[in-house]
Amino acid sequence: MPIAVQELKRVYGDFTAVDGLAFDVAPGEIVGLIGPNGAGKTTTLRSLAGILRPTSGRILIDGHDIVSDPIEAKRRLAFMPDEPHLFEYLTVEEHLRLVARLYGVEDFDRRCAALLQELELVGKERSLPGELSRGMRQKVVIACGLIRRPSVLLFDEPLTGLDPIGIRRMRETIVARGRDGASVLVSSHLLHLVEEICTRVIIMDRGRKIADGTVAELASRADLASAGSSLEQIFLRVTGHDRDAASQP
Amino acid sequence: MIGASVYIIVCSARNRIRVRLRRLKEPRYFIGGAAAIVYFYFTVFARMWGRSRASRGRPRSIPIPADMLALLQTAGPTLVGIALLVIMALAWLFPGDSGLLAFTPSETDFLFPAPVSRRALLVHRLLRSQLGLLFAAIVPAFLFPSGSAASRVKFAVSMWLIFLTMRVHFTGITLARASLALGQGKRRQWGALAVMLAAVAVVGGAVIRACAGLRSAADIPDAVERLGAIGVSGIASWILWPFTALARPLFAESAGAYGVAITGALVVFAVNLVWVLRSDEAFQDAVSDAEARRAEKKLRDRPVVRARSVGWQLALSGRPESMFAWKNAMQMLRGTTSAAALRYIAPAVGVGVGASSAVMAATRASGAAAAIGSMALAAAAFAIVLGPQVARSDLREDLLHLELLKTWPVPPAAVVRGEMLAPAMALTLVAWSAIACALVLSAAAFSAASLASRASIGATIAIVAPALISAQLTVHNAAAILFPAWVPLGTARPRGLDAMGQRLILFFGVVLAMVLMLLPGAIPAALVWLALHGLLGTAAFVPAATVLAAIVLVEVFVATEALGPLYERLDLTAIEKSE
Repeated sequence: MPIAVQELKRVYGDFTAVDGLAFDVAPGEIVGLIGPNGAGKTTTLRSLAGILRPTSGRILIDGHDIVSDPIEAKRRLAFMPDEPHLFEYLTVEEHLRLVARLYGVEDFDRRCAALLQELELVGKERSLPGELSRGMRQKVVIACGLIRRPSVLLFDEPLTGLDPIGIRRMRETIVARGRDGASVLVSSHLLHLVEEICTRVIIMDRGRKIADGTVAELASRADLASAGSSLEQIFLRVTGHDRDAASQP
Repeated sequence: MIGASVYIIVCSARNRIRVRLRRLKEPRYFIGGAAAIVYFYFTVFARMWGRSRASRGRPRSIPIPADMLALLQTAGPTLVGIALLVIMALAWLFPGDSGLLAFTPSETDFLFPAPVSRRALLVHRLLRSQLGLLFAAIVPAFLFPSGSAASRVKFAVSMWLIFLTMRVHFTGITLARASLALGQGKRRQWGALAVMLAAVAVVGGAVIRACAGLRSAADIPDAVERLGAIGVSGIASWILWPFTALARPLFAESAGAYGVAITGALVVFAVNLVWVLRSDEAFQDAVSDAEARRAEKKLRDRPVVRARSVGWQLALSGRPESMFAWKNAMQMLRGTTSAAALRYIAPAVGVGVGASSAVMAATRASGAAAAIGSMALAAAAFAIVLGPQVARSDLREDLLHLELLKTWPVPPAAVVRGEMLAPAMALTLVAWSAIACALVLSAAAFSAASLASRASIGATIAIVAPALISAQLTVHNAAAILFPAWVPLGTARPRGLDAMGQRLILFFGVVLAMVLMLLPGAIPAALVWLALHGLLGTAAFVPAATVLAAIVLVEVFVATEALGPLYERLDLTAIEKSE
């Protein structure tokens, strides 16, 4: 499996952010990771990307342990965080060149031009991050992730700051990468996006996985049968917030 | 509103203290706090108590002659009063930022839309500023060279009242300027400005007359006496009264005199407060102006990064270290504005001038060539000794990008080495250029030394320079990896007693680590020098320096390899924790 998470646990001081999480993502699968605020989604993604060390448990990327074999694991994954962190003194084109050098990308010029076109960054090649809008910076981060062909893609709130056209393009891009065989994990609060593009959904709450399956599978689960068929209804039921929602005037 | 203000202030202070105390649970913060307390004890309290014990039982020794002390006590209020008048006149003439109109973004968002009067907002801001003012008044009271606790309290209260009145007055000036701009109460505000200018003219004339007879140092006591008399009689004394009234509590000897003096100072404060609260029409404009000025200053202080081409394109293949060197070099070249460069150049020039003067005095050299040569030598010394502390384009700055760096498939030791490469190369280049310049001009500055000696010393410094710079950068980057929460990132500076202790520990730790790194190389280098000195003379320094540099560079490599796994284990939360 390109992504294999086994009994992942991450503790911050006295607080357990992720507790005993386990799941796999197969090639070509687009998995949505959803949950209320503080559910542990970002901690999970950051642990998968090698930014945070798991307190216990294992994370395998294409069979390589992210802790004991980090370089090989990181070579295969791309992480697109919710907040675009860029080097303020490197241009858009220099960011892409830097990533190409890091990951040994061949045919850089062709790929760079195609990506700039795809993400509507043409004309911004020589711009510094400070000269770009937040949405544009987000696109640069995504371009950096896509300039190589990673087998694992991790998106944390990929649509934040994008305009409607950007959102549509981004949806198409994610789906295209999944179709090309990449394993994609998308964390988002936008349930309609997850429902539309994801082949499977994992719902987290208080650091634990509380549901895992396709929307149809979840809707047919005995305890969720009366919740409704939409992901939003399932989400509210499984997290125990459907009564709160119902009691709202 | 006062209740709400007190609530905000008390809750904020309580929570801040809670956060700091909770932080002390972590050993590194606890050790930092303990170090700061020990430092304070030995530098302030122990000295103070020691002085008090030493003076007990024997007459107090007064370093200032008794007649001069008496003179200062009588003339003191007038002298301080004149100084306060000058400060306030300058504040009228040059627009500044009054602290009382500096509202935080949360205050603006919560309090401005609330049904609260402008006066209440000013009172809130005045209350909030008290902690800072009290701290500013108490610190000098501790350092004040006086034995009794009562005199320290009197001094602290007097200073606090001066700071408070000045702050309120500055706010009044800002509001007056804003209402002048709005055209409101023009007559009243112009009148206040005219009165202030007339007051400065009258007092200025009296000061000039008092100082007229000043010819030599012997005339100073007479001049001070005459200056003191300005505040006692004549028109100038009436003008100076509010200012001398503020200063008088500082010089009051007895409790009765202090009571009278503090009452006068309180009256001055009350008048200023009433004036400010009554001139609140221009409050919102003054606050907007203050905000705009702060935003402008923030923008000015931020380095203006331009994507200027530097003719160095990153190759698409090669060692990861060179990629980091390119990345950090871009930061140095594009992120360094002339203003930022000036910040580094100014101390370098200061050190250069001081050191070159010392060198020239010692060698009895003169002339432009000698001066430039000596300055170049000082610049080389600055680059080698202080440069690694100043040039921070390495992990110390890149910890801000740790989230991104951690996702890169690069061996961790290569990250550490690569991060240090750009500042090491830049500083070495500066040092070598300066050494070359000093060597070319060395005949003028060091005419007594032979060319061979000068060339040997120059080559020795040039050989040792990259090793010393790299060793220091290794220690600084090791500190950033081992104690990331102790290293200031970007413009943020951790605050609190524990943070101060951490900085002290870090400083001494860096010095100790440098000594430990140099020692293994210094011993064989000294042996080489001893063995070859008789044969080569001054030139023996060159092989000795080569041995030292080689050993230190090997140590640097080994240290970066050892730091690699520690960097790999470096947790993002360790950085995010710093306030």
